[in-house]
Amino acid sequence: MLSRTAEYLYWISRYMERAETTARLLDVGYRMSLFPNPSGYNNEWESVLSAAGAIEGYKNKYDTIEQKNVEDYLFFDESNPSSVYNCILNARNNALVVRTSFTPESWLAINKTYQEILNLKEKKFTKSDLPDLTEWTIEQVNLFRGSLSSLLRNDGYNFLFLGLFIERADNSARLLDVKYFVLLPKPQYVGGNIDNMQWSILLRSLSSFRAFRWAYDGNITATKIADFLVLNNNCPRSLSFCIQNIVKHLTNLTCSPEKVRRIYNNLKDLNTKIQEEKIETIVEYGLHQFVTQFIRKISSVDNEIHKEFFN
Amino acid sequence: MFNEMYQSESVIRNHYNNINDWLDQMTSKVILEKNAEAETHFRNIGITFSTNNETARERIIPFDLIPRIFTYTEWLRLERGVIQRAKALNAFLADIYNQGEIIKANIIPKEIIYKKKSFEPSMFGFSPPRDIYSPIIGIDLVRTGPNDYFVLEDNCRTPSGVSYMLENREIMMRMFPDLFHNNRVTPIDDYPTRLLQTLMSLAPIKCENPEPVCVLLTPGPLNSAYYEHSFLSDQMGIEMVESTDLFVEGKYLYMKTVDGPKRVDVVYRRIDDDFLDPLCFNPQSVIGIPGIMDVYRTGGVNICSAPGAGIADDKAIYIYVPEMIKFYLGEQPILDNVETWNCEKEQELKYVLDNINELVVKEVDGSGGYGMLIGPKSSKSSIDEFKTKLSTNPKGYIAQPLLDLSFSPTLIKNQVEGRRVDLRPFCLIGEQAQLSSGGLTRVAMNEGSFVVNSSQGGGVKDTWVLAE
Repeated sequence: MLSRTAEYLYWISRYMERAETTARLLDVGYRMSLFPNPSGYNNEWESVLSAAGAIEGYKNKYDTIEQKNVEDYLFFDESNPSSVYNCILNARNNALVVRTSFTPESWLAINKTYQEILNLKEKKFTKSDLPDLTEWTIEQVNLFRGSLSSLLRNDGYNFLFLGLFIERADNSARLLDVKYFVLLPKPQYVGGNIDNMQWSILLRSLSSFRAFRWAYDGNITATKIADFLVLNNNCPRSLSFCIQNIVKHLTNLTCSPEKVRRIYNNLKDLNTKIQEEKIETIVEYGLHQFVTQFIRKISSVDNEIHKEFFN
Repeated sequence: MFNEMYQSESVIRNHYNNINDWLDQMTSKVILEKNAEAETHFRNIGITFSTNNETARERIIPFDLIPRIFTYTEWLRLERGVIQRAKALNAFLADIYNQGEIIKANIIPKEIIYKKKSFEPSMFGFSPPRDIYSPIIGIDLVRTGPNDYFVLEDNCRTPSGVSYMLENREIMMRMFPDLFHNNRVTPIDDYPTRLLQTLMSLAPIKCENPEPVCVLLTPGPLNSAYYEHSFLSDQMGIEMVESTDLFVEGKYLYMKTVDGPKRVDVVYRRIDDDFLDPLCFNPQSVIGIPGIMDVYRTGGVNICSAPGAGIADDKAIYIYVPEMIKFYLGEQPILDNVETWNCEKEQELKYVLDNINELVVKEVDGSGGYGMLIGPKSSKSSIDEFKTKLSTNPKGYIAQPLLDLSFSPTLIKNQVEGRRVDLRPFCLIGEQAQLSSGGLTRVAMNEGSFVVNSSQGGGVKDTWVLAE
């Protein structure tokens, strides 16, 4: 497989994953905007922007944080590199180049999505359309992922999934980083409405709201949620699940065993640690520090993948 | 005027009877639906044009639902004629880059060959595998009567349009399966396999691999034929590479893969000569593979088509193709050339200037239906403009009579109307010479128009060759 093909496949699934994350964040912001708080309505848009890594770009463009503008910036804005529109556009442009390396169904899934978002972009939207847009995005991404199941299990497949899980690990970790404080046990808030709301934001944005209920009995506690999102190997968005899958798809690569080994060696410790660690220890050590280190590690693995395979 | 479907106003040609019945029972509603379905399909698979304007949506070529049909006997003649022509063009290239017999025999004056930009001096004295310079040739044909076919031009470099030929058939089979149950249409979907066999049969001398590694070299996603590049490499199961994916080391060409360098034997290039090798052609070029020409000349790789193959489809050389057929093959040409006046010659220029109202004037280096004058359909001012151009730069132009291109029934606003068509079948020459069983029919969608180019309102049709 061409190095460039591997690189494009890797980025296609990164972009598609990112489109979904952005859409989910928008959905959370939208829900929160419907709930009252003591000073009027909840304003979660700022933390939505930070979690999407778009706060700086947004503030360069707009003076105040308003729903209409946030929606537009995160969904359609061409100047925001992580807007759903740009993610789909980039995924499609990459797919155009490597369409021969995956199935016609995968190409169709991406290209249809692209054709549709062009139509969506031409229309004018009102606030109440947002749920439709986010639902549409998640549907499209699922369509793409579903199409991958018919792929040959070759290196191309593994590069696609490496991209997916690197992106997801990064997205989950960033979200945790923005919201880590709600998972710290602070007696005065425990069980209060604010916490419940904040927890539900976290879970929803990681599409894990219902799953959490299935996975844990009894009371919702900060520790249980942290455990679920960081260490639970059954949760498809937890940090440990992402790491496991990165290792799996990395070691499944058949090309250049010595390159694979070099990257794996860098990743090994984190993987072992996250599989053995207890959530209490992490919280005690500092969830924020843990997540920050995790993000740094993922980024260095990403750099190594680029250096070893795509150059 | 010749109509492909109607023998006279009330008589349908036999081989169009089924289509006529099918048309009769189609309602406007169905036509609208099927047109929309075809458009959506073409957009979804991405068979679109890139336009220079980045904000504009990609364009698709209008697709007409009514197929253009050839009988087996009609096709047989075209097949023989096109293959004959393709062989002669390759023989001509082999000759002018080596002994130059046709020049010594005073059939073609040497100036018009050696002074052309498309003549490639670095190819002199080199013979590519099997002496095939141009393994994929697209011949543009028009029809003016039951047995009257004329070749408008030859395309020996990298003819495009074959993906339309294949996709038009796919969409027709998908939308109207019954049509294919009721008509015995020769399949064309083995074209990519045949293309790959052709390329593999042209492996370079130093290739020891029994299954030579072929790649398709594309200029990239901005090229208007990019869809075709990815479509063909997909169908052939070969890598589509850009020049940055390739590099020369020692006497071989390699592509960069995740496993490290992998040797490449045959390059099906869809980029122009100028951008192949900055060391050999255009030093300003930022694309290209430095050193590839050296590998090529020492038998480490084959480049299809060969650099310099373009001289064979030059409009000034076109005039001599019938002579080439006689000279190299000892045969009479099966397909006719269009009578052509070479404005470079003083007498012919005079004739062209005197009769410009009746003639079509074309730029020697023009393409895409641009830079031409259709005398009978042009205003006095544009005719005067061309007269000036002809007088100042006569060797830049040729002129031909305006041919009465055949009409093919075409759906215009849900009504069947006659529109003019041409045909580009694709000829492959490697170990054997063969013609696609069909081709790309282009149709001038505007009433009365002679211009079938997609850049100027042309559309496309599925092209059927009925089985024996």
